Amino acid sequence: MGCSSSLPDRSTGRLGGLNVSESGGVVDAKNLRVKLVLLGDSGVGKSCIVLRFVRGQFDPTSKVTIGASFLSQTIALQDSTTVKFEIWDTAGQERYAALAPLYYRGAAIAVIVYDITSPETFTKAQYWVKELQKHGSPDIVMALVANKADLHEKREVPTQDGIDYAEKNGMFFIETSAKTADNINQLFEEIGKRLPRPSST
Amino acid sequence: MEKSFNLLHIIQHRRDGYGFALRPQHVQRYREYANIFKEEEEERSYKWNYFIEQQAKSNHSSSSEEERRAKLQAEADELREETEDDSSGKNSDSDGSTKSYPGKEVQLSEQPEKKVQLSEQPENEVQRSEQPEKEVQLSEKPQKEVQLSEEPEKDLKLSEQPEKEVQLSKEPEKEVKLSEEPQKEVQASQIPGRETLLSKESDKEGQLLKETKARKVKSWSWTRPSLHVIENMMSSRVRNIKDLKDRHNTINGDHLPSIKKTVTSGGSSTVEIKKELWIKETSDDNVDESTEESSVDSKLDPESFFPWKELEFLVHEGVPKDLRGEVWQAFVGVKTRRVERYYEGLLAEETNTEQSKEHNNSKAAPRKWKKQIEKDIPRTFPGHPALDERGRDSLRRVLVAYARHNPSVGYCQAMNFFAGLLLLLMPEENAFWTLVGILDDYFDGYYTEEMIESQVDQLVFEELIREKFPKLVNHLDYLGVQVAWISGPWFLSIFINMLPWESVLRVWDVLLFEGNRVMLFRTALALMELYGPALVTTKDAGDAITLLQSLAGSTFDSSQLVLTACMGYLAVTEARLLELREKHRPAVLVVVEERSKGGRIWKDSKGLASKLYSFKHDPGSLVEEKKVSEGDKSLLESHSSNLDDFLSGLSVDSEVDSLPDPQEHVVWLKVELCRLMEEKRSAVLRAEELETALMEMVEQLEQEVADLRQVLADKKEQEAAMLKVLMRVEQEQKITEEARIGAEQDAAAQRYAVNVLQEKYEKAMASLGQMEQRVVMAESMLEATIQYQSGKAKALSSPRSVSSSVESPRRRIGLFGLGWRDRNKDKDKPSNDDSGTS
Repeated sequence: MGCSSSLPDRSTGRLGGLNVSESGGVVDAKNLRVKLVLLGDSGVGKSCIVLRFVRGQFDPTSKVTIGASFLSQTIALQDSTTVKFEIWDTAGQERYAALAPLYYRGAAIAVIVYDITSPETFTKAQYWVKELQKHGSPDIVMALVANKADLHEKREVPTQDGIDYAEKNGMFFIETSAKTADNINQLFEEIGKRLPRPSST
Repeated sequence: MEKSFNLLHIIQHRRDGYGFALRPQHVQRYREYANIFKEEEEERSYKWNYFIEQQAKSNHSSSSEEERRAKLQAEADELREETEDDSSGKNSDSDGSTKSYPGKEVQLSEQPEKKVQLSEQPENEVQRSEQPEKEVQLSEKPQKEVQLSEEPEKDLKLSEQPEKEVQLSKEPEKEVKLSEEPQKEVQASQIPGRETLLSKESDKEGQLLKETKARKVKSWSWTRPSLHVIENMMSSRVRNIKDLKDRHNTINGDHLPSIKKTVTSGGSSTVEIKKELWIKETSDDNVDESTEESSVDSKLDPESFFPWKELEFLVHEGVPKDLRGEVWQAFVGVKTRRVERYYEGLLAEETNTEQSKEHNNSKAAPRKWKKQIEKDIPRTFPGHPALDERGRDSLRRVLVAYARHNPSVGYCQAMNFFAGLLLLLMPEENAFWTLVGILDDYFDGYYTEEMIESQVDQLVFEELIREKFPKLVNHLDYLGVQVAWISGPWFLSIFINMLPWESVLRVWDVLLFEGNRVMLFRTALALMELYGPALVTTKDAGDAITLLQSLAGSTFDSSQLVLTACMGYLAVTEARLLELREKHRPAVLVVVEERSKGGRIWKDSKGLASKLYSFKHDPGSLVEEKKVSEGDKSLLESHSSNLDDFLSGLSVDSEVDSLPDPQEHVVWLKVELCRLMEEKRSAVLRAEELETALMEMVEQLEQEVADLRQVLADKKEQEAAMLKVLMRVEQEQKITEEARIGAEQDAAAQRYAVNVLQEKYEKAMASLGQMEQRVVMAESMLEATIQYQSGKAKALSSPRSVSSSVESPRRRIGLFGLGWRDRNKDKDKPSNDDSGTS
C-alpha cells in the first residue's frame, strides 16, 4: 500500500532531477538546491570560507586543495525558504584552471574570492570574472568576496576597488573573514536572496 | 604536567600509525582497524624477509664465469652500501638473511683471479683501483657477500651503456657522502676500524667529505643490499624508458610543441605523433618483454629466474613499513636514475643569483613556483610531527630542485604531498629521485601547465566506468553528477588525503611496483564497485558526492581495496589504457590549443567538462569528433566548440559583426549549419533522454506492479494460512462444544441421580412416618392391653403381689410414656430419647 502512494512522488522527483542537471538545481519554490563554485587564487581562503560556513571551524593550517573538494550546507532564509548549497571548492593554482570548467559548468552561483592583502589575487579574481562571463552559464549569480578582512592593517586592496569592480560587473560584493567568521553567513544568505525563484519564472 | 600529557594523549589519538591526522569521524574506525593493520604488518614483514632470503639463496647457487666476474665488480658497490647500512642501523634483516650463508667466503678466495679479468675491462678501471681497500673490508665482513651475487645483471648493463660508467666511476665520492651524516660520523669515530677506512680515502674524497659535512643533513642513502635483486630488476625497466625517451625527445622536442604541430599542420601529423606516442608508451608498457629481450642478448638471464609473480603477490599484500622507503626506491629505479651531484647542482642554482641560463621565459616561472611552494609548504600535512622546521626545509629543497629539474612541469600542487610523503620514508636526495621517477615516467604530462594527460585520463576513466557500471552511471547521470568531479581529485592526488593512509600506501606500493598508473584506474574502479550500491540509493547530487567522498575516506579495509582493484580489474591494462588515451587525447588537445590561442571566435575553455558532457549525452559524438579532427581544421574547431556554444546558451549571432572576411563568413555559415545540425541532434538526444527517462519510469512502474503482485500473492498466501488456522480453531471449538455438551449431560445425569436419591429419601421418610404411626398405634394398643391386664391383676392378686405388680407397670409406663412424649416434642431425635430413657 505504501508503494502506491510513493509512486507519484518518485516520478516528480525524476523530472526535477532532469531539470537540475541542466540548470544548476531547483527543487521547488520553498526548497532550493543550488550548485555553487568557489574560484580564486591559491591561498586566498576559499577552503576556509567553506569550512567556516559548513562546519563553523577555522584552521589556519588547512591543507592544500587538490582538484576540488565538495561540501554541502542548507540554510533557512527569512521568508522561510531553505537553500541547500552544493559547494565545489576548487584548487587555486593557475594550472588547475584547466579543470575549473568541469566544476563551474552548470553552477548557479560563482563565488570569486580574493585576499585584501594581495593585489595579485584581486587581479586573479578579475580573470575569473571574465572567464565566467565568457564561459559560465549566462544567468550565473556571481559574488566577489574580499577575504581576510581581519588583516586590515596589511590591507593592500582598498574596499572601494572591490565595490567598484563588482558594481561594474553586476556582482554582489562583500568583505569577509573566515578567521573571525565575519560576514560568512551573510555572504551565503545574501546569495540565497538573490537566487532566481522558480515561482517567479 | 598533567595537561601536557592529556594534550599528547589527544594528539596521539587523532593521528594514525604514520603520524597523519585522522578525521574525528574516523578515529573510532581507525582504532578498530589498528590491530588488523598490525597483524598484517607482522605477516608481511615475515613474508618479505623470507622472500629476500630466498632470492639471496637462489642467486648464490647460480654461478657462471661471467657472473662471477660481475660479482667482483659488484663487491665494490656492495661494500659501500654496507658501510652505509651499518651506520644507519637499518641492515638488521639483511644481516639476518646473509649470516646463514657463510659459504660465500669461498668466492672471496677467488678474488685475485678475478682481478685479472677486471683489468681486462678498461671501463672498470676506477673500480679496480679501489679493489685492495675493498678486499680488506670484505675480509672483515664476509657474510655481506651474499648480496654481491645480485649485482651481475646491473654490471653487464653498465658495460653496455657508457653513461652509466661515468656514474659508476663517480661512486667513490658517494661513498664519502654516506659518512657525511652526523650520526654516522659519531658512529665512525666510535669504531676505529671504520675510521681508518675513511682515512684511506683519497685526498679529493677527503675534501668532498669536508664540504658535505658542512651541510649536516643526511641527504642520500643507498638501499640495503638485500633489496638489490628488486632494484636491479626495476633498473632495467628505467633504462629502457630512458632510452626510448631520449629517442623520442630528439625527434619531437617536448610535449607542448608536438601538440601545436598536431593541431596546426593538420591530419597527417596527428597520425604521426599518435604513432610516436603509441610507440613510446607501448614500449613503456612492455618493459618486461623488452628487458627480457635485452637480457637474452647479453646471454645472462637473471630475470628469468626472478619470481615476478611472487614479488607481485607480496606487493599486493603490501610492503612492510620498515622496507617501504627502500622498496619504493627500488621500484622507481632511483639507483639508475641518480646522477651524482645533480641534486646539489640544482639546489646551488638558487645561490648563484637568479641567473636563468636554460630558458628565456623561465625567469618569471621559477619565481612563481617558488612563491607557490612557499604558500603550500605549511599546508602540506599540517601538524605532522616529522614536518618540523627541518622537514619543511627538506620539502622546500626537493620541490625547488624538481621544478628546476623539469621546467616543463615546474611545481604543481599535489607534488607537495608526494614529496612530503616520500620524505617521511627516505632521505632527501632519495626522495628527490623517487619524485623525479614518479613525475617524469609514471605521470608524464600529468602535472604540466595544461595538465593534458590528467584530462585525458578522466575521459578514459569515464569511458571505463560507463563500461563497467552502466547502472551506477545511469543513476549518476540522472542526478547530474559527473564522475570526474570526484575521480579527478583522486587521480591528481594519487589518493593522498582521499583514502585512509594505510590504503593510500598500499595503492602506492602497487602503483610504484607496476611502473605505470594503471593502479589509479583499478583503485578508482574498485572504489566504485565497493560503494556503487550505496550511491544508487542517493536522491540528489549533493548527497551522492558527499556519500562517495565520505565512504572513500573511510576505506580502512586496505587489503580488500587493493585485492578488489588488482584481481577484479585485470582487464584494465596499460595497453588498454593507451588505446583509450589515444582515442580521447585529440579532443583534449584541441581544447587546450584553443585555450592557448587566447580565445578567438570559437574559443571554448570548457574542455574536459564539455567532453564529459557530450560523453554523457552521446558516447558516439566523441568518435565522430575524432573523425572530423582529421579533416578540415576550421570545421573541426567550429564543430567541437559548437556543441558547447549551443549548450551553454551562447549566441553566435553576437559575433557575426566580427566577421569581415568572406572566407570566415563561409566558415561561419558552415558553423551555423553545424550548429543547426547540432541543435537537431541535441533535440533528438533530448528526446532520447526523455524517452529513456520515460522508459525508466515505465520500468519502475512495472517493477512496482510486480512488487504489488508479489505483495498480493503474499497476502493470498497469508489469507490461506489464516483460513487454515480458522478451520483449526473451529474444529477445536466444536470439540470443546461437544465436551461441554457431554459435561452438561453428565451434570444432568447427576442431577437426576440426586433427584432419585431425594425421592428415595422422601420415600424412606414417608415409610418412617408410617412406621411411627404404627409404633404409636402399637403403643396405644400396648397401653390398653397393660391397663387391661393391671385391672385384672388388682382384682385377683394378694397385697404383696399387688405391690410388686404396681411397680412393674409404672416402669413400663415410664418407658413408653416418656418415649412418646419426647417423640412428640422432637421428632428428629426419637432414637436419642429412646436411648436416653433406656
